[in-house]
Amino acid sequence: MRSKTVDRLLKEIPKEVKIYVDLYADLVVRINQILKEKGISKKELAEMLDKQPSEISKWLGGDHNFTLKSISKLSAELNENLLMVTPSNRHFSFVEVEDIRSVQTFVVYQHKQKPTKGHETKLVKFQEKIQELTDVG
Amino acid sequence: MNTFALEIWYDEGRVCTFYTVRYVSDHDMESETDKFFEKYSSTDFQFRESALELLHLITESIGNRYGAIDDFFDRNKNKAQALPPKPKPWIDEIKILGNNFPLRLYCYKISKQIVVLFNGGIKSATTDQLSPDLSFKFNEAQRFAKLISENIADGMFQISDDERYLESFDGKKEIII
Repeated sequence: MRSKTVDRLLKEIPKEVKIYVDLYADLVVRINQILKEKGISKKELAEMLDKQPSEISKWLGGDHNFTLKSISKLSAELNENLLMVTPSNRHFSFVEVEDIRSVQTFVVYQHKQKPTKGHETKLVKFQEKIQELTDVG
Repeated sequence: MNTFALEIWYDEGRVCTFYTVRYVSDHDMESETDKFFEKYSSTDFQFRESALELLHLITESIGNRYGAIDDFFDRNKNKAQALPPKPKPWIDEIKILGNNFPLRLYCYKISKQIVVLFNGGIKSATTDQLSPDLSFKFNEAQRFAKLISENIADGMFQISDDERYLESFDGKKEIII
């Protein structure tokens, strides 16, 4: 860090502003990446989206929040996922390293099979073994 | 035009270093980019949040994550560029951060790893030149960009081996134009 102004102002940026700008940047880069990969020009994309004029006019109205709809429409036209939401059977946690925010996802597998007789036998044996060990010394 | 120095403004991101310009002939202690952010991010200023959004875009999105890729530097202003990037009308958030974004910060992209930031102001008219707060800084940015590009072409300064910094032809870090 060389500028004291930057040093001071970085501490004043609200968390929601950081999240918003990060999302914005990710979408800009991802959409352009998809357009390049698929060889679609922005004009062609506009023409693709113009297939439903009523929907487009809603987007361009600007007074309403059609963000999810517009992203969904774009995802459908490009046949690519732009946003992913973790399903309810997954556990996630926000991990913060300095000011970088990311979502870490992990899956918890639950063993729903009823314990069999064999399992019960093993458990008894294990407890016996623990008991033996606690008697030592 | 007064003599100015190219100074590192922010180099703590992983992928891009930002320089700024500071007039040296009149012993101006504040860089042009510091002047911009000090003015427009002051707590009583109506566009403070926009200024902070722009600061985060520069330091985090460009400086730390993506570098100075064309996706962010698509607002060409003759020899210079301006931030934020152009609106992307198919996404609501991007449309807002483009079309309706009230501020412009002029800059000159030297490479994906090096960008020089200048000053900027409020975009209040259809063009930058017609915006009272921008017209002078627009012309100033053109002169900065022209002189920087000419000095690079002449070999007066060059990009360091690690591609993150500028250095004069004799290897010194101090660059006066």
